[in-house]
Amino acid sequence: MANDSSGNDPKSIWQSQPRGISTVTLEKMIRRRAGKLHRKAIRERLGSIAGPLCTVAFSVFGIALAYNPMQLAAFAIAVAWSVAGMYVLNRGTWQGRLAEDAALATGVEFCRREIERGIYVQRQFLLWVFAPIVLAVCAFVAPHLASGLRDRALAKSIPFFSLFTLWVILLFVFRRLRWKELRCEIEELNDIEKENKL
Amino acid sequence: MDESDRLYSDAVAKYGSALERLARAYEADADKRRDLVQEIHFQLWRSFQRFDARCSARTWVYRVAHNVAASHVIRERRTFTQLVSLEELERLPDQATFAADDHMNLERLSALIQKLKPLDRQVIVSYLEDMDAAAIGEITGLSPASVAMRVHRIKNILARWFHEGEDHGK
Repeated sequence: MANDSSGNDPKSIWQSQPRGISTVTLEKMIRRRAGKLHRKAIRERLGSIAGPLCTVAFSVFGIALAYNPMQLAAFAIAVAWSVAGMYVLNRGTWQGRLAEDAALATGVEFCRREIERGIYVQRQFLLWVFAPIVLAVCAFVAPHLASGLRDRALAKSIPFFSLFTLWVILLFVFRRLRWKELRCEIEELNDIEKENKL
Repeated sequence: MDESDRLYSDAVAKYGSALERLARAYEADADKRRDLVQEIHFQLWRSFQRFDARCSARTWVYRVAHNVAASHVIRERRTFTQLVSLEELERLPDQATFAADDHMNLERLSALIQKLKPLDRQVIVSYLEDMDAAAIGEITGLSPASVAMRVHRIKNILARWFHEGEDHGK
């Protein structure tokens, strides 16, 4: 792989790029990164329980107002589902194992693991956050719809529920698209691994 | 200073500037790039606690750096942000114009690399860092034939983007 002698040679352009000036010592950098990682982990944990917590609050409110056993059961399932979701979503963190994985895996292996992890996160979100929210809202709205919206307060909240329905559909579509993209990337990595074996 | 700290310090002395260049291939935004460089250093320092000389220190450093950066790209990517493979990039129409200024050329080269999928970025950055096919294969996990094919494509793309541009500028 000889170097091109031209002044417009990409290798020399790349290798002669200016360095950023850094005055950070190893100790300072480690302390700063550790603090940042800790804050990020807390943010991620709070983020992952925010959805299920809202569902629990909404369902408890629904249980207090429920007037038929089916509705009561649906809210109870939504509460149990969300609580289980909080537990599942908080098991293990990604940050802890990055360094060793990154060092021991080749690029192909590591990219595959990260993409598979992305697919897993998408699936977990749909299963443990999205589905209980939809169940709780359906449990709230369905009996009123069945009785022909006689409740005036609920009739007034139709715009809110329309927006909620739109959000559910859009979120689902976006997540599906992202999931498909990730699946395509896994297929490409499969092809690369097949090529490697030939 | 324990053994892992010493290994880390040696690695930074040897590959510190290469790690900064590598970060440029994965992140266009200067602030996020600074953050990425720090993340690479942090993960590298942690990884050396498990260094067992199964591969060379250079392979170890580049694997950690590329993989941390690839993880950053995969996590930060939004839906509809299409990254392309080298094969697709080779088919894209040439968008380059020759710039006499080194900084402009570097920006162009970086933009070109940032269009690529993480695995192809690993190959092109390793090529630009003057590594041979065996070293690129060890870092990426690609077979020698696959590396050779990708390097061939990279040479074609770079020739089109830089040398043809140079002709227009003359």
